[in-house]
Amino acid sequence: MGKIKVLTGNYAAAEAAALCRPDLIAAYPITPQSSVVEYLAGKVHNGEIDSNLVQVESEHSAMSVVQGAAADGGRVFTATSAQGLALMYEPYFRMSTLRLPMVMALATREMTSPETVWSGQQDAMSVRDAGWIQVFCDGNQEIVDMIIQGYMIAEDPRVLIPVNVCYDGFYSSHLTEGVDLPLPEEVDAFLPPVSFNHAVLDPKNPFALDPLTPGPLMMKYRKSHLDAMERALDVIDEVDQKFAAAFGRSYGGSLSEYRTEDADVVIVTIAGMTGTGMDAVDIARDEGIKAGLIKLRFTRPFPAKRMVKALAGKKAFAVIDRSVCFGWSQGPMYMETKASLADTAEQYCHFSAIGGLGGADISLDMMLSTIRKLDAQKNEPGEKETQWYMAD
Amino acid sequence: MAEHLHITPIGNDGMYILDTASWRVHRPVMNKEKCVDCGMCLSYCPVNAIIGTADGRFEITYDYCKGCGICANECPKGAIDMVLEGGTN
Amino acid sequence: MSYIDVLKEAKDQVTPGMSACQGCGGELILRTVLKVAGENTIVGIPPGCMAGAGVVGWNYANGLHIPVHIPLLDNTASFLTGLSQMYERKGRSDVNIVAVAGDGATADCGFQSLSAAAERNEKMLYVCYDNEGYMNTGYQRSSTTTKGSRTSTTPIGSVINGKQQQQKYVPLILSMHGLEYCATASPSHMADFVAKIQKGLAASKKGFAYLHVFSPCPTGWAYPPQKAIEVARNAVKSNVFPLWEMDQDSYKINFANKNPIMVGEFVKGIGKFKNLTQEDIDSIQEVADKRMALLRRMAGN
Repeated sequence: MGKIKVLTGNYAAAEAAALCRPDLIAAYPITPQSSVVEYLAGKVHNGEIDSNLVQVESEHSAMSVVQGAAADGGRVFTATSAQGLALMYEPYFRMSTLRLPMVMALATREMTSPETVWSGQQDAMSVRDAGWIQVFCDGNQEIVDMIIQGYMIAEDPRVLIPVNVCYDGFYSSHLTEGVDLPLPEEVDAFLPPVSFNHAVLDPKNPFALDPLTPGPLMMKYRKSHLDAMERALDVIDEVDQKFAAAFGRSYGGSLSEYRTEDADVVIVTIAGMTGTGMDAVDIARDEGIKAGLIKLRFTRPFPAKRMVKALAGKKAFAVIDRSVCFGWSQGPMYMETKASLADTAEQYCHFSAIGGLGGADISLDMMLSTIRKLDAQKNEPGEKETQWYMAD
Repeated sequence: MAEHLHITPIGNDGMYILDTASWRVHRPVMNKEKCVDCGMCLSYCPVNAIIGTADGRFEITYDYCKGCGICANECPKGAIDMVLEGGTN
Repeated sequence: MSYIDVLKEAKDQVTPGMSACQGCGGELILRTVLKVAGENTIVGIPPGCMAGAGVVGWNYANGLHIPVHIPLLDNTASFLTGLSQMYERKGRSDVNIVAVAGDGATADCGFQSLSAAAERNEKMLYVCYDNEGYMNTGYQRSSTTTKGSRTSTTPIGSVINGKQQQQKYVPLILSMHGLEYCATASPSHMADFVAKIQKGLAASKKGFAYLHVFSPCPTGWAYPPQKAIEVARNAVKSNVFPLWEMDQDSYKINFANKNPIMVGEFVKGIGKFKNLTQEDIDSIQEVADKRMALLRRMAGN
């Protein structure tokens, strides 16, 4: 049993990162992430944690500095949002393709333009093919727990891939909740000290880190990375169970389900909208609709097999995305859910729902309307028009 | 040979070496009589093809010399000549 | 120990055969820096001529005898910051953390991360080999390219004649960052260069050390390769590239140059300058004179 604290999502992320004893933290402010690095800076300046803190001049350098430390076997942490993530894309892609494990908190935010600082998942979705593992949290407790689990997943020798712990900007980052914060000794017992050593620059063992690599060899590295992503699906579920054994909290691994057992219609949610979605399911059930919910937790690696299994026997589904897939008039996770079903998708009634962009609300009524639409058309298989959650 | 698991790209199987001597058109030839062992040629050779010998003198090696001619141009005593490879000047 | 002895005794840390051009100033600078730094060194060499010439490794092989990484074009100083802090954390600050970067990676897109690392006084030696352009990609202009130069992106046109702007003088800008040591050097003045590498390495144990080195480029600048050192020497003698250092906030001119040659003499025989008008030469001369006068005032002489 840890210590109960009332924390914003950002403070929760910072507390969890501190518990993982990072060697080095690189910090650069950006809304809505800034209070993560402010909080950690306070901990370093007050001597509460023994981490090097580098106050960099940009997110590009934040990722570059932690990359340098990870290339010496260090455990590192940083956090960002939207434009910051876009600016760090170059070293971000390289962190994963150098297979250097780390955890980065991402308080998700809409991408400009139109000019915005508010919530949305377009930032994370835009980099879903940059080789990182991405997990979406729906509450401050889950943020704490996934940052701790994130290091275990990232540093697992079967994986060696950095992890993004994503949570909705403002909705999670700035709202407070009671959090059961594990004690340092509990985290020490759960998370082994950092020990990856597959790419440590050291004059005692000289090598070229990332020599010029021709195509045929490049193919081998890419395949190895994708294989590790596949293995990560098992590791994610394993770590979830290990964590449950140690702390009594399980999240279901790569995805979780709510009232799906006998459901005909299912909504798929990502991150903070899940709570509202569960309420919508309860109300729909009271109306006599056999509704259920799948919370997509990991988007990378995409839990295709578990998704197929979770949707087996259902009649209709909609995936609610807080981001868009340009060129398709649909949301990205809807498209990937559909892709995981492949040819069997046509057996379902299904459509994409898009809402919550730039901080717009995803209301209970909106989600209920999706469930009712699905129920009304559940016996008419095929793809239906995208539902946009417009306020007026 | 190191074991390659193709995780992180690492170069540790020996040294990447190009046969730069094959680029050479003119070869530097040192006249030991004129040489005063100042070592300028060694300090300016971009390829590190000039070495100091145990007796305190300097010697041109040809395994990687690209024949740029800096040593001949810089020698304060004019002790190095550039000679056409495989023929006469 | 004389600088010749230092260079004679030191082990060459670079592959004996690298694909730098004949008479490459960058190759000479790289080998010299790493000879002096020695084997207890980790070096970052961002994209540019030196990286392209194979010293950052190829396939499964290394191009150096020491650990090397090719950072991004724009993050060398940041990447090395993380490495340097980890080495200090591990109690191994004896390991030299060194960058050898071109002017593009230093003065242009890498300038932001370089400036920040210098301002934080991170413990490393950052060496810029300034060949005044993006030589590895075919000689495009950079902010350090001398005015009037013919480059791939500032060609000699019927309307516009070469680069239109004066060069950005990076070393003096760096010297205002509150860093530990800042100096310019030229391979033509080897004793001075070797001494500055030694000072820079010593300073890198306390903070940020920056060395801006003139790097003559026969291929891009279009002069015969054997003239490389002569070109570098003339750059110093014409005050186009003055030699100075900044240590403990005091500036010192290392080569007094009492009888300077004219810029017109420096540019003679260099193909990239063959289109210069007298007006261009006069304006480069004016910049060189003003810069030297400023440096002399700063050095108190």
